[in-house]
Amino acid sequence: MRNYDSIQHVRGDSLFIDDITPPQGTLYGYVYYSPIAHGKILQLDFSEALKSTGVKGIFSAKDIPGVNQIGGIIQDENLFAEDSVHFVGHPIAFIVADTQLHAHEAAKKIKSIYEKLPAIFDPRQAAAENKLIIPHRKFELGNIDSAWSECEYIIEGSVESGGQEHIYLETQGSIAFPTESGIKIISATQGPTAVQRTAAKILNLPMNRIEVDVQRLGGGFGGKEDQATAWACMAALAAYKLNTPVKLVLPRQEDIRLTGKRHPYSSDYKIGLTKDGKILAYEVTFYQNAGATADLSPAILDRTLFHCTNSYFIPNVRATGLSCKTNLPPFTAFRGFGGPQGMFVIETAIYKAALVMGMEPAEIQRKNLLNEGDELPYGQKTFNCNAIRCFDELDHKFSVKNIFQEIEEFNMKNKLVKKGAAIMPICFGISFTTTFLNQASALVHIYTDGSIRVNTAAVEMGQGVNAKLKRIAARTLSVNESRIKVDTTNTSRISNTSPTAASKGTDLNGFAVIDACNILIERIKKVAAEELGKDDASKISIIDENVFYENEPTILTFIDLVKKAYLKRISLTAQAHHSTPNIFFDLKSNKGNPFAYHIYGSAIIQVTLDCLRGIYEFDSVKVVHDFGESIDQIIDIGQMEGGIVQGLGWMTIEELIWNGEGKLLTDALSTYKIPDIHFAPKEIKIHALENSPNDFGPLRSKAIGEPPFMYGIGAYFALTNAMRAFRPNMKIKYDAPLTPEKILLNLYNK
Amino acid sequence: MITLKFILNGKEVSITTEPHIRLLDLLRDKFDLTGTKEGCGVGECGACTVLMNGRAVNSCLALAAQVEGYEIVTIEGISNGDVLSPLQKNFLLHGAVQCGFCTPGMVLSAAALLDQTPNPTEEEIKDAIAGNLCRCTGYKQIVDAIKETAKELQVK
Ligand code: FES
Ligand code: FES
Repeated sequence: MRNYDSIQHVRGDSLFIDDITPPQGTLYGYVYYSPIAHGKILQLDFSEALKSTGVKGIFSAKDIPGVNQIGGIIQDENLFAEDSVHFVGHPIAFIVADTQLHAHEAAKKIKSIYEKLPAIFDPRQAAAENKLIIPHRKFELGNIDSAWSECEYIIEGSVESGGQEHIYLETQGSIAFPTESGIKIISATQGPTAVQRTAAKILNLPMNRIEVDVQRLGGGFGGKEDQATAWACMAALAAYKLNTPVKLVLPRQEDIRLTGKRHPYSSDYKIGLTKDGKILAYEVTFYQNAGATADLSPAILDRTLFHCTNSYFIPNVRATGLSCKTNLPPFTAFRGFGGPQGMFVIETAIYKAALVMGMEPAEIQRKNLLNEGDELPYGQKTFNCNAIRCFDELDHKFSVKNIFQEIEEFNMKNKLVKKGAAIMPICFGISFTTTFLNQASALVHIYTDGSIRVNTAAVEMGQGVNAKLKRIAARTLSVNESRIKVDTTNTSRISNTSPTAASKGTDLNGFAVIDACNILIERIKKVAAEELGKDDASKISIIDENVFYENEPTILTFIDLVKKAYLKRISLTAQAHHSTPNIFFDLKSNKGNPFAYHIYGSAIIQVTLDCLRGIYEFDSVKVVHDFGESIDQIIDIGQMEGGIVQGLGWMTIEELIWNGEGKLLTDALSTYKIPDIHFAPKEIKIHALENSPNDFGPLRSKAIGEPPFMYGIGAYFALTNAMRAFRPNMKIKYDAPLTPEKILLNLYNK
Repeated sequence: MITLKFILNGKEVSITTEPHIRLLDLLRDKFDLTGTKEGCGVGECGACTVLMNGRAVNSCLALAAQVEGYEIVTIEGISNGDVLSPLQKNFLLHGAVQCGFCTPGMVLSAAALLDQTPNPTEEEIKDAIAGNLCRCTGYKQIVDAIKETAKELQVK
């Protein structure tokens, strides 16, 4: 199988926002934004810009008919700055003109004067000044204070991890059209309802007058979960005010400058172990750089805390998280949603401990893996726990011991080129940790010719959700997949959508599709029983479009039943709502059962490092991963490989650099490097853990989107192992990404 | 305004346009060939790749005026009506397509390679798509699709 839209994609026929032919007279927008990180707006003069060629209007805070507010979790973010600006890139005004070029040129004629105020970029400084987005968060398990005395080794340290720009290949964009009933917005968003709700608030209209439609995204990765909203609202505001369609597609450089990224974190840890490597205590404090407003930061910080012990059982834990307000663009969701940042710290702690204790990191990892029934720091106990199975299967399938031995032999023979490897186990919880988001609905129509249309809240962004939903519907109805069309995501057909995020798109929407299809099956089975003159519809079954009674074939087919049902005036449309059962989380005690299930896996990453130049190549990534029963193997393998490479990028070459004034210097693809084909590992081998059906996923599958990203964390330690082969007593600063420059600094500093 | 004559996806065309616009805009705006994507506008991503006399070029860096007398092929010109080209077919079969935004450029870079080097080495494949970024796939399935196409072309 392949991705749903693939045929159109390879033919170049699929339309993204910028490809839609807008109606004649459509206007184009450009965002005017703050050049400074923090300050008061003393003067803002549009008069020259308004006279500029082609300009039809300039909109700022005072033009908003409703509330100038786009904050999701916390109402702390304005669409346009009012009297102060809080980061470089803070939108101030929206210029609309007959062409994009004219809008851009007019922006240069806006005159603004600011009074600069002190700005903070370092999360620790923000914390010291008590500039927090929310009060600190704390997860605790066991009794950490008394546990230290039982530890034979106590190791402490600090860890930095950098941000990451999404570089979805399609930049942010939307088109807004005035309609008879209000505004229709075509948006490249993962969260159609967020766009609808926020646009309604901005325009002071009820939500039923805003329609949001999403066809597909050219990549999302979290970057369009909350942060597609502003651009859609700007287009909607201008379209509403001018009564003309307005289109806004951010040029790449503006997209990089204006939008949020993965949160940089600065963290302190303290880990305590027995002399044979059992971890007894772990204390960690995370300073999350949230940027200027909340965005999704509180939920992301919680995910960091949820995953702070990764795949390990640690009986005594204290994890504290501080979401620190700085003068950078609000950081946002990115594949893993804070989880990777937490996992990087515990892995660092284990590597540091292994070094001090003279043990192999893999031995400490193996000794502390989660077992069935172990309690996680948030109170949930593991079930169907595959942590050890995956770890051991990795060894078994890929002869991990030989890999390490071969590396040692290679390193003895080679002076300037060194190899390194590292194992990375993962455990990732599936569900939105904000419990109420774990709901979805589906609307399924069967037409009289037997064709079927499926509507859900899921947004297709390349992850293959539409192909999976199509398969789920086909299997549930037992009809040919070619009958099924999955529709665009539309707020008029599906209300109150949760964003397609948290790897949960297929699970939530898939279950809703199953429920809706089952309602339809029950109805047409009744029709079959009547047609066959039988009383008991439960003895009817439909298999591959053929109708059976007590497992005996009948003359009826699916299509006969559809036609007959229509003539009997029976509805061929069903709607169903699904909410994940038995999940809850108490935000006061920070205990509960937040996840429907967990994903497990283990990877080994091998690298070759040129110790003269600091450059490296990934030789291989080998993984044993728990897919459940995959709905579509090609799609799942694609998610794995893509996620792994993105994770490698985060740990190694993707470096965001701001100057001392809060201006991003790496604001182009020439300066911000993402993995290209030469960077990608020479070999990726993925083995699916056998016999691991998941009762909590549709068709017994497991979610796939985010977890593979975290295998990439192993890249960091594969590199430090190679570095240590070159310089055994190296004192390394744990500071990701580990770029070639940083490698050289660590290898050759005194 | 200038008038340009060139061959576009096998057909002779002529168009009058401002001389300073990019080839990318000429194709997208004047011919409505939106399969050619803009990912960066500065020659760094390859999403805008088209074939110019058989060579893969970034159409965001070329000026419209440069196409005079040239033969241009965009993704829309790669298949034979409804029949997919072998490359397109293998991109599908190998899962080399996720969000699809890089796909047209990727297919055209690969097409240029296989045209000139029907039996490429792994390194040659990598070099051919080194200028095409994909944020979704991790590239493995893309390379597999190109290899498989080369193999099929050998058999023929
Ligand atoms: S758009 Fe031309 S190379 Fe990126
Ligand atoms: S498939 Fe999305 S960028 Fe390549």
